[in-house]
Amino acid sequence: MPKEKNYKWKLGLFAVTALVVAVAAIYYVGKQKNLFGSVFHLNAVFHSVSGLKVGSNVRFGGIDVGTVDDIHLTTDTTVAVEMVIQHEVQRFIKQDALASIGSEGLMGDKVIVISPGDSGRVAVRDADILQTHAPIETDQIMASLKTSADNAAVITANLADIASRINHGQGALGKLLRDTTLSSNISATMKNLRKSTAGLDSNMEAAKHSFLLKGYFKKAAKQKEEEQKKKDQEEQKKKQDELDKKAAADKNKPSGKKN
Amino acid sequence: MQQSLNPIRRAKMRVTQKRSELKQFLYEAGNLVAFAGQTFREIFRRPFEWRETLYQCYQVGYKSTFLIGLTGFIMGLVLTIQTRPSLAKFGAVSMIPGMISVSVVREIGPVITAIICCGNIGSRMGAELGSMKVSEQIDAMEVSAINPHRYLVVTRVLATTLMIPLLAIYADGIAFCGAYVAMNIHDSTTFRHFMVAAMTHLEFLDIVPALVKTVLFGWVIGLIGCYKGYHARRGTESVGIAANSAVVTASLAVFVIDMLAAQITDLL
Repeated sequence: MPKEKNYKWKLGLFAVTALVVAVAAIYYVGKQKNLFGSVFHLNAVFHSVSGLKVGSNVRFGGIDVGTVDDIHLTTDTTVAVEMVIQHEVQRFIKQDALASIGSEGLMGDKVIVISPGDSGRVAVRDADILQTHAPIETDQIMASLKTSADNAAVITANLADIASRINHGQGALGKLLRDTTLSSNISATMKNLRKSTAGLDSNMEAAKHSFLLKGYFKKAAKQKEEEQKKKDQEEQKKKQDELDKKAAADKNKPSGKKN
Repeated sequence: MQQSLNPIRRAKMRVTQKRSELKQFLYEAGNLVAFAGQTFREIFRRPFEWRETLYQCYQVGYKSTFLIGLTGFIMGLVLTIQTRPSLAKFGAVSMIPGMISVSVVREIGPVITAIICCGNIGSRMGAELGSMKVSEQIDAMEVSAINPHRYLVVTRVLATTLMIPLLAIYADGIAFCGAYVAMNIHDSTTFRHFMVAAMTHLEFLDIVPALVKTVLFGWVIGLIGCYKGYHARRGTESVGIAANSAVVTASLAVFVIDMLAAQITDLL
């Protein structure tokens, strides 16, 4: 037997509040899955969806605009993906829009990324099929990495071979680094070279004093002197000009201050 | 005297004792099933006790709001504070709301609500019906042509079955508030941003099985509380025993159901 009066409105308040919370939560979650509200469907066909799941997000311009509704195999190599997309973005997705599979977040969850088409084209209609471009699979990355690694292995093997040959004094580089006789030969050659250049110098001096070549040398010396003179004159002129300019500038400065 | 018996007789006695204990347990289990069956049958018998059912709903639901709310708030707060360091290690602080929402909705909310209700409601029902049984009020009802099962048990079981899911929803909502407060200890997020982050990770597969689970929790808490009270023995101390064993058995039942529900949800 009820021992309290007026309990019914409290019970009603309690029940209504809880139900409102529940309905709000369910509506909110449903909205994210695009169950309520106006939507349209798009399809896309891929060779592989790389682990895309029903309920994954569909992105357009980086915004979540829909979800994946269904994924099924159509033939042995093609997978059809059905998407549910908010009605308001329909007019922005053109008929030549491209659908591709990207990944997001720390765990690499897969999403469908729709890139907008040519703005001059007509917008997509309900249940249209979008063009796709194939996702880059980790397998492909691995395969290309493997060829690079193989190449690197060949290159390093060659390098190791070359280094060992150099170390053992084979080939020109090896000789240069390791052979002591070579270096002594080279230094002997250098000595000879120095001796012969000294000889050549005295020969030249003798030639200058011989009457046959005296005229030529005198002429050359004269020309040189004249050139030197010209140069000196030009330099002096330049210096004078600079000095003049400086003096003019100095004059201007104090007058500027006065004003 | 036990010392004087030979080992074989002692073993025999123990076997007999264990066997009778087992028999007692099976007897109890059978009684409980029969009790549940009778309750289920009585639900559909006219006249239905509307007034008493509503009053019990009020007692179970409205009167537990504060307790459930406080517990829910603290659970959300504590869970967030405890989860934060390990997620921060991975730089995944932005995942905290999602993690909290999933764990609160799937597990913490329903189970905490059920356990609190076991203590709060189960014990009250055990003691109430137990003392009615001891003071022979139940027998008096039968004499005066009121079906005590329909009047006392059906109303209470229905009340817990209907109200505990609502209490669990309250607990979830308030736990979110607690988690939001805890998030703002280290970071600063807006409530809207927090709720969006929390809700993106929720799916119907998280919400619906959790709600179904709480319905089962409510049913089991009401049923066991009433059963223990209704089948109390004679004497004052049996009221205490009835209240105590109502709480213990109902809590155990809640965990067993939770285990089964987790397994079934996992298969979905």
